[in-house]
Amino acid sequence: MNEKLLNMSSSPHVRHRLTTGAVMTDVTLALLPAAVFGIYRYGIHAFLILLISVASAVVTEFLYDMAAKKPLTIKDGSAVVTGLLLGLSLSPAVPLYLPCLGSVFAILFVKCFFGGLGKNFMNPALTGRCFLLISFGSAMTNFSVDGVSSATPLAALRAGEAVNLSQTVLGYTTGVIGGSAIALLIGGIFLLITGGITFEIPAAFIASFAVFMGLFGDQGFDPSSLLLHICGGGVLMGAFFMATDPVTSPVTSRGQLLYGAVTGILSGLFRVYGSSADSVSYAIIIANMTVPFIDKISVPKPLGYRSISGKPQFPKAAVNLTIITLCAGLALSSVYLLTKDKIEEQKLAANAASYKEVCPDVESFVSDDAINTKIEALGDGIYDEKFGKTFINNVVVGKDAADTTVGYVISVSSGDGYDGTITLSVGLDTEGTVLGISFTELHETAGMGMLCGEDAFRSQFTGVNTDAFILNKAGGSTADNEIDSVSGASTSSGAVVNAVNTALAFYASSIR
Amino acid sequence: MNTSLLLIIITTALVNNVVLSQFLGICSFLGVSKQIKTSLSLGVAVIFVITLSSGVASLLYDFLLVPLHLEYLETIVFILVIAALVQIVEMFLKKTSPAIYNALGIYLPLITTNCAVLGVALTNVQDGYNFIQSVTAGFGTAVGYTISIVLLAGIRERIDEASVPLPFRGAPVVLLSAALMSIAFMGFAGLSL
Amino acid sequence: MNKYAERIYNGVVKENPSLILMLGMCPTLAVTTSAVNGIGMGLSTLAVLIFSNLIISFMRKIIPDQVRLPAYIVIVASLVTVVDLLLQAYAPDLYAALGIYIPLIVVNCIILGRAEAYANKVEPGLALFDGLGMGLGFTIALTLIGMIRELLGSGKLFGFSILPDSVSPIAIFVKAPGAFLVIALIIAVMNALHIKNNSADLVKGCDGCCNHCSKSGCQNEYKEDKPV
Repeated sequence: MNEKLLNMSSSPHVRHRLTTGAVMTDVTLALLPAAVFGIYRYGIHAFLILLISVASAVVTEFLYDMAAKKPLTIKDGSAVVTGLLLGLSLSPAVPLYLPCLGSVFAILFVKCFFGGLGKNFMNPALTGRCFLLISFGSAMTNFSVDGVSSATPLAALRAGEAVNLSQTVLGYTTGVIGGSAIALLIGGIFLLITGGITFEIPAAFIASFAVFMGLFGDQGFDPSSLLLHICGGGVLMGAFFMATDPVTSPVTSRGQLLYGAVTGILSGLFRVYGSSADSVSYAIIIANMTVPFIDKISVPKPLGYRSISGKPQFPKAAVNLTIITLCAGLALSSVYLLTKDKIEEQKLAANAASYKEVCPDVESFVSDDAINTKIEALGDGIYDEKFGKTFINNVVVGKDAADTTVGYVISVSSGDGYDGTITLSVGLDTEGTVLGISFTELHETAGMGMLCGEDAFRSQFTGVNTDAFILNKAGGSTADNEIDSVSGASTSSGAVVNAVNTALAFYASSIR
Repeated sequence: MNTSLLLIIITTALVNNVVLSQFLGICSFLGVSKQIKTSLSLGVAVIFVITLSSGVASLLYDFLLVPLHLEYLETIVFILVIAALVQIVEMFLKKTSPAIYNALGIYLPLITTNCAVLGVALTNVQDGYNFIQSVTAGFGTAVGYTISIVLLAGIRERIDEASVPLPFRGAPVVLLSAALMSIAFMGFAGLSL
Repeated sequence: MNKYAERIYNGVVKENPSLILMLGMCPTLAVTTSAVNGIGMGLSTLAVLIFSNLIISFMRKIIPDQVRLPAYIVIVASLVTVVDLLLQAYAPDLYAALGIYIPLIVVNCIILGRAEAYANKVEPGLALFDGLGMGLGFTIALTLIGMIRELLGSGKLFGFSILPDSVSPIAIFVKAPGAFLVIALIIAVMNALHIKNNSADLVKGCDGCCNHCSKSGCQNEYKEDKPV
C-alpha cells in the first residue's frame, strides 16, 4: 500500500517528501517493458549498457555512503532507477564506458554532493545524459546498429522523408534503447494506476508540447506528424518518468500543471528552433531550475535599510587626479607610437603568410581599385542575412611573374564563431575554384572548434568549384560541396562554411 | 520589433550567457546569490548600469576614439566612464529617491569592478555594433545576468547545507550548482530563431 | 628568510591569490582551457601586478586618500593597455587566444586588492616583491588548473597529445561547465585536507557591504580610512 505522494498543502516547502522504496520498485517495473524490448531488438550490447549503467549507479552510491559514513541508501532503489533511466536514454551503439561515467556523474555530482536523496535540484539521470552529450558528442549521436547507420525518425521528418508511423510507435526504428513508444506508454499508464505518478505533469507536458509543435512546427497540426513527434525524441520517457521525479518537480497540483506546460513549451522550442534532436533533456533540466519559483508564492519582503554617509567634496583631490591621468595618457601615447609600426608589420606578415598559403604560384599580390570600390559599397553591414554575421574584409589579386592574374584571395570574417570572430582567407583561381582556405583569426574552443584550422577540415574545401558549400553535421559527406562538420563543433564549422560561401557569393557578383 | 535586435537579446541573455558561458561577473554572482530578493535587486541595478554604460561607451568609441584614432585607449576610457557613471547614478538616486537608493544603491559600488560591465563594452566594440545594437546587447547581457543570479538564488535557498558533505559546504556546492546550471544552459546553444 | 624572499613565499604558497585568497575568479575560470593559455594570462597579470604595486607604492604619499580608487584604476588601466599593445605587437598568437580577458585584468581583484591592502602601505622594494610573489602564485595556479582541464578535456598537455587515440577525452572539461566543476573539486579537496582558504568569503551573503577586492569592509568606512 503506497503512501499517496500528492501533498496538497500550499507552498513554500523547505524540503520535499522522501520517495519510498515501494514507489521506486513500481517505477522500475514500469520501465521493464521498454528495457525488455530494447534488449530484444538491440541484443547483448544493449543489455550490457543497461547493466553497466545500473551497476555503476548502485556501486557509486554504495561507495560514497561508505566513504562518507552515512547509512546505506541503496536499498531505497533510487540509484537503480537513475541507472536504468540513463541507460534507456542512450543509443545502443555507445561504448560501455559512457553509461559508466554518466551514472557516476549523475549519482555523485548531481545527487550525493548535494546531500543525497531528496536534496538534488536537477534530475540526475537527465543531467548525466547531458553531461555525456557535451563530453562525447559524436558517440552519443551515433545510432548505427551492426555498422549500419540510418536516420532517426525525427531526423527523417526534418529532412522531409516519409516515416513509417506504426513501426515507430512499436519501436522498430533507429533510436535509443528505451525508444519503444508503446512500451513506455504501458509503463506510464501502470504508474498512473498504481499512484506512483499523478496525471498533471505528463498531461500538461504532452498537451502543451503538441500545441506548440502544431503552432510553430513545420508540419503544423498534421496528426501523424504530431504523433511522430510525441513518440520520438524522448518525449514519452520525459513526460512519464523524468519530469515526474518528485524531488525535482513542484509540490502542488497547480504547480505541476504549470511545470508540465513550461517543460512542454521548452521542448517544443528546442525541437523546432534548436539544432540537435535533444530537446527534451535540456528542456526538463532547465525547467528543474524554475521549480523553486513555481513552488514559492511569496510576497517581496521589505528591503533592509542602510544609513549612508555623505560624499566628501574634493576639489584639490580632483586636480591631483587630473594630473595623474594626464601623465598616464602621455606615457600611453609614447608606448603606442613605439609599438604601432610593429603591430602593423605583424598584421601584414600574418596576412602575407595566409595569402601565400591559399594562392601559391603567385609572384605578387596587388589590390584592385574596381574590386575595392565594390567592397566599400558594401559598407559596414553584414553581407547577407542568409550567411549570418559575415563581412568581406578585403580582396587582393594574385599576379604571376608576367603580371597575369592567376587568382584572388578574399579575406572574410564571421562573427558567428562559438567563441568570437573567425577571420579567414579564401583563395580562388580564375575559374572560381577554391584553392584553399587559411585562418588569420581563430580562437574557438581548444580541441573542438580549433580543429577547423587543421588540414583535415580545411582540405575539404580545396579543389572544389561550387556556388555554395553545405555543412553536413552528421558526417559522411558524399558530394564535393558537402563539408563534414568538426565533431562537436557544428557552430564553428557552420560559421566557417558561411564565411566561405560569402566569399564565393562576393566573387560571383563582383569579381567574375 | 526588428528581428535581429530580438536575436541579439536572446543570444546575449541565453545562448552566450554572461556568467555561465563567459565567466564575467562571477564574484558578485557567487556572493550575492544567497537570497532571491537581494539577487533581484542586484539584477535590476546591473540592468540599469550595463544598458546605460553600453550606450555611453558605444557613443564615446564611435564619436571620440575612432575619429581621433585613439582606439587603443578604449580600456582606460571605458573603465573611467563606468566608474563615473556609477558614482553619478548613486548620487542621483540618493537625492531623488531614497527608497530606491536603499533598495538598489548599496549594490552600485559593487558594479564598478564587475567584469561584466567592462566586458560588455569591450565585446560590443569587438562585434562592431552600432549604438542601438550596443544598447540592446548590453540590455540582453544584463537580463541574462539577472536570470542566472536569480535562478542560482532559488537553488541556494533550497540547498540543505547540513546534508551537504563537509568538504563541499560553502563555496564548492555553489560552484557545483553553477556547473549544473551551465550544463542546462548549453541547451540554448545552437538555437536559431 | 629575508623579507623579499618571504614575499615570494607568501604569494606562491601561504596566500596564493587564486587558491587561498580566492581572488580573480573570472579569468581563472575563463582562460584555463589549456595550460599555455593559463601561463600566458598569468604572466600578463604578473607584469601588470609588479608595475602597479611598484608605482602605487612610490606614489603612496602623493595620491590623495579620497580619490584612491579612481587613481589606482587609472594606473592599472594604463599598465594593462601597455601590456595589451605589447602582446599585440610581439605575441600575436597569445593575444588572439586571451582575447578580451587581457583588458579585463583591470578589474581583476588581485591587482586592486593588493594595491589597497599592501602596496600603498609599504616601501617600493617590498611592494615589488609582493607583486612578483602574487603574480607567480597566480600563474602557477592558472597553469595547474589549465593542465588539469586540458588533459581531461582534450587529452593534450601543452598542446601535445598524451592520451592514446582509442581513449576519448571528456570534452566537458574544456567547456564552460568544466571550469566550475574543476574549481569546485579543487576547493573541496583543499577543504578535505584542511588547507585553509577564503572560499567561504566567495559565497558569503552580501547586504551590499562586500568590498571583496580589498577586504577592508564597507565602502563607506573605506573612504574614511586615513593613510598610514
